[in-house]
Amino acid sequence: MTPRALVPRLFVSLLSATGLVAVACSTPAPDARFIETVPDTTTFPAVADMLIQACGSLDCHGTAARNLRLYGDTGLRFSPLDVPSTLFPTTDAERAQDYDSVVGLEPEIMSQVVASGGMHPERLTFVRKARGSESHKGGAVVVLGDPRDVCITTWLQGHALSSACTSALLLP
Amino acid sequence: MKRVLFALFAAITAGSCDPVHDDAVAALGGEIAGVRPGPLHRPGQPCLVCHDGAFGDPRAFSMAGTVFLYGNSTPPAIGATVTLEDKNGTTTTATTNEAGNFYLTPDTYSPHYPVHVMSLTSGDASVSMHSHIGGNGSCAGCHADPAGPDSPGHVYLHVYGATP
Repeated sequence: MTPRALVPRLFVSLLSATGLVAVACSTPAPDARFIETVPDTTTFPAVADMLIQACGSLDCHGTAARNLRLYGDTGLRFSPLDVPSTLFPTTDAERAQDYDSVVGLEPEIMSQVVASGGMHPERLTFVRKARGSESHKGGAVVVLGDPRDVCITTWLQGHALSSACTSALLLP
Repeated sequence: MKRVLFALFAAITAGSCDPVHDDAVAALGGEIAGVRPGPLHRPGQPCLVCHDGAFGDPRAFSMAGTVFLYGNSTPPAIGATVTLEDKNGTTTTATTNEAGNFYLTPDTYSPHYPVHVMSLTSGDASVSMHSHIGGNGSCAGCHADPAGPDSPGHVYLHVYGATP
């Protein structure tokens, strides 16, 4: 191949590389916003109490190092004045933090699940991990159809079934 | 001979390639003067940081910790009985020694988490833990001093007792 014949190929390659760099370096518009469709807040406190009991111990999700960070009476405390103890019950502020933590994990997928009335909740990583269908250091802490599972899935459907969330607190 | 030396070198260097673990060990500090490494050493520290079964480390523990008498001071609870129950309902007990330390090895107890501390008992005093242990076999992994938002402080027996 002559040097002259190489020129068009080099030009195309350079153009492609420039395009790739431009795409790789592009950022969303500064005013771009994603409005999440969020699940119910009114029945979440029962879900929060279940999550705190099942997942929120200090050596699991009751630590600031976790993406799914849970505050609660027996784990990490939100107020710097509180300590982990049932003598200091879970506060509303802690449940609000837990809500933000759960719904903020995968906002786009959460929106899809909520918009579909809770269909296929396993689309959410936290559901898959809880069920043990995705790698989870804590193993399967939720069994499909058990009170913990019903508590979560009914919440994603619209309103958490309080009886399931209460029953879940009795599980080991 | 060269191969053996190379394998030994590789094993030793591999054992020290975890900076997070190295930092955790370093954070424990040195031994207390006059207390040799053994069952009585390092009360109140997270035992499994070193007793994790890794190559070159001391022998592995599955669960271990220290029980103190009071929440605001650190005299050990000697001879206290620690009763544990795992997810499958398997229970075991351990007794604290002169330092308040207890430990269980994987060959005697290899629990399926979560584990519940059913009771800490000594004489008439008995307490239980309200939450479960999710996966950390060291009591002090969570029960570190000082108490604060991320730690209930060290494990102690007399919840309402006064420091003598």
